[in-house]
Amino acid sequence: MIEFKNVNFRYRGTDESGLHDLSLTINDGEMVLLCGASGCGKTTVGRLINGLIPHYYKGELTGNVLVNGMDIEKTELYELAGVVGTVFQNPRSQFFAIDTDGEITFGAENIGMPPDSIISRKDDVSSEMHIEKLLGRSIFELSGGEKQIIACASVSVLSPDIIVLDEPSSNLDLEAIEKLKEILKRWKLQGKTIVIAEHRLYFLRELADRMLILENGRITKEMTAEEIKKLTITDTEKMGIRPMILPEIQYKNSVVESEDILLLEDFCFTYKDGKHGINIPRLELPAYRIIAIIGHNGAGKSTLARNICGLERKCKGTLTMNGKKMKAKERLHNCYMIMQDVNHQLFTESVRDEVMLSMTDKALTDEQKASLADEILEQLDLAEYADTHPMALSGGQKQRTAIASGIASSKSIIIFDEPTSGLDLAHMKQVADQLKKLKDMGKTVIVVTHDNEFILSCCDHVVRLENGCIAEDNHKR
Amino acid sequence: MKDNKLNIKDFITIGIFTALIFVVEFACGMLGFIHPYIVASYVVLIPLVGSIPMMLFYTKVEKFGMLTIMSVLIAIIMFVTGMGWLGAPLIIAAGLIADLIAKKGDYKSFKMTVPSHGVFCLWICANYFPVIVTAKDYRKSLLDGGYSAEYCDALFRAINGKTIAILLALCFIFGMIGAFVGKAVVRKHFEKAGIA
Amino acid sequence: MIKIHLDPRTKLVMIFAVSFIVMVNAVSTIEWIVRIIVTLIPVFLLANEGKHVSAIRFLLCYAAAILLLKYYISAESTGILSALLLGYCGIVAQFMPAMIMAWYVIHTTKIGEFMSAMQKMHIPDGISVSLAVVMRFFPTIKEECLSINDAMKMRDISFGGGRITKMIEYRLVPLMFSCLNIGDELSAAAVTRGLGAQVRRTSPVQLKIKAVDWLMIVIFLLSMIIFVISKYFR
Repeated sequence: MIEFKNVNFRYRGTDESGLHDLSLTINDGEMVLLCGASGCGKTTVGRLINGLIPHYYKGELTGNVLVNGMDIEKTELYELAGVVGTVFQNPRSQFFAIDTDGEITFGAENIGMPPDSIISRKDDVSSEMHIEKLLGRSIFELSGGEKQIIACASVSVLSPDIIVLDEPSSNLDLEAIEKLKEILKRWKLQGKTIVIAEHRLYFLRELADRMLILENGRITKEMTAEEIKKLTITDTEKMGIRPMILPEIQYKNSVVESEDILLLEDFCFTYKDGKHGINIPRLELPAYRIIAIIGHNGAGKSTLARNICGLERKCKGTLTMNGKKMKAKERLHNCYMIMQDVNHQLFTESVRDEVMLSMTDKALTDEQKASLADEILEQLDLAEYADTHPMALSGGQKQRTAIASGIASSKSIIIFDEPTSGLDLAHMKQVADQLKKLKDMGKTVIVVTHDNEFILSCCDHVVRLENGCIAEDNHKR
Repeated sequence: MKDNKLNIKDFITIGIFTALIFVVEFACGMLGFIHPYIVASYVVLIPLVGSIPMMLFYTKVEKFGMLTIMSVLIAIIMFVTGMGWLGAPLIIAAGLIADLIAKKGDYKSFKMTVPSHGVFCLWICANYFPVIVTAKDYRKSLLDGGYSAEYCDALFRAINGKTIAILLALCFIFGMIGAFVGKAVVRKHFEKAGIA
Repeated sequence: MIKIHLDPRTKLVMIFAVSFIVMVNAVSTIEWIVRIIVTLIPVFLLANEGKHVSAIRFLLCYAAAILLLKYYISAESTGILSALLLGYCGIVAQFMPAMIMAWYVIHTTKIGEFMSAMQKMHIPDGISVSLAVVMRFFPTIKEECLSINDAMKMRDISFGGGRITKMIEYRLVPLMFSCLNIGDELSAAAVTRGLGAQVRRTSPVQLKIKAVDWLMIVIFLLSMIIFVISKYFR
């Protein structure tokens, strides 16, 4: 059983809300879903259960948190390791070992489980989760979904009573989410207490026993399993959370209608491993529209995006736009990509400099550049942050800074790689608005995504890839 | 931080920064393949470039042992990557002394950080140990092979038992200069971003 | 073919011996034979572990350097080209054995194995944890660098606008931010899984010095002794 008694928490060095006078009881075997906008405190609740607060993230804590009768404040983290297991948001940063076997047994090794039990637990868990084919591999060759499953397995090895998941589906595609759902179902059958903080909710509709909606560190609404199942899209929209039902994308079969087209020819490319790649002899895309590229992990979405961008020199494909045929090198000057991890594309010490860095026109003086930059920042609601260091911004603001520098480079094609992973409803809509704004500016926008809700909110055209080939190419209805 | 003992987070931080330092070392090492003379310029390049991660590292752990452990790791990695074990005592001694100097300033005083980084940079000279030790034999075989003494002199003029003192001094000086460079970058980026 | 899997401690002995051998110049035929043997063993072991491509690449490179040194470059050859060639071949022939050995050890040892070997040698946990992080971070840094490079290409700032300082700054600063972020999340994930517990870590990997390990240890120590004798007692 988990008990929160009048808990207040504030992170050190911030005025970030944290939690306000939160009381909550979670019974054994219950599955509780925490949701709400980012910064609402749901991650903080999870961190109080697994002890990261107050032992790892410091701050002011009052009130009591009891986990299976243990006072969190007085219990060392390693004592909790066998009781509470945690799956984190980012599959890239939560593994410690390089090989999957080492990762699965890592927790058991730390708490000093006898070698024989480690091996038998590992075997049990891997047959239970059907991950035999993932064993003995390097973590670095796995997809995000596979990594997340390994993370679940490594939690399972310790057989904790309580499992906390912090936005586990953020970086997963639909197929991987299905697998995650299976794992959650099995844990629930085993009687584990599960606390899951999430933005994407549809896969939890039948599983959650209770849903708590948080706002500014307070629980504002509580719903039972029956109530959750009844929620419609309008209900969730009103509550400011993502829908409980996976929205289907409706297609309208037709050829490209608009007069301006983007013509891709001979986009064939294979990675060094010889397995992955794309094979697209010809593809017509409507120019000045928002085009979604969808498909499973490994279907070649990101590869296509990288190739359109001209990042793979070996690709012989050409892109024709406005009668101009462009090879990889020229495409690099005409396309701009907002990467999934925007941290990689922010280089300078202030947001304004970042935008000015993209202006390569030598005819402009620095003052002209600065005023142009301020104009662009104004359009993207970043004006007040012009002198801030890009890395001091929130995730959404960083993304907008990257968009701003894309606009400043006056490139005509803007590509987004998974722009909405880990975003709540409000932020997802904000990104959708930005894309529409770019379309209005006369840019062609290409989005690699597996977020159906996002596609519905802004995309005009959908291309689905399968094994590196075009499987469907449709207008959205 | 009241706690003066290194905890898990510190060990992980030490690991990360050691990896970063090695990336700088490898990047400079690549340049060394172009011409042997560039190998001698490690004493300038690595302290200056490496100072950027190092200065951030100084602000991150601030506990005794951070530099000693890093030097032990460097020694182990140098050993495993086949660069020999002769340099190990130098590397670890440099790390330990640098740690003691920084401790004097409680890891906060920049005045102490400067000489501390200078001393720490002495580890770079361990790169030259295999060359210096083999130089005599190597040179002899070159001479036997019919090469003029002039060419051999040119090859070993930069790196030998006598110049090692100069190389060590250069490491120390550029390590101190690097401390200022690194600090400037940390101020410009990491402090402004609120991380440091 | 039987897979030969050596104990990490055996590998350390092998590295130790090879690092010594590469620092002594081989003069007599016996020494050359020993040198070639200690080079061929890791090449063979690499091939045995299924890393055929790198084994063949190393073999060709080493053989080319040795043959060039022996036959092509002689007293008559002069000029800058052959002087440079001599320099490179000399370095390859001299230090390649250590490089091959290191490559073999790094690519065939799992972190779990290495950590339990360190524990058996009574090296403090703090050092083995840090070392494991270093190993884990090399591939991470590589991934991050590739992404940063792509971003620089798109912004057309790969050469920092011609300034070397900018070139370094634009690469190193985002890389350091990323590493700090990953490190922070990694530490959090590691402590929730009990890293830092006040108990002795266990390992499912059972290390044992087998016959083949002894064979390797004997071969490499013997080779080292031959070189010691020829260097100091001749």
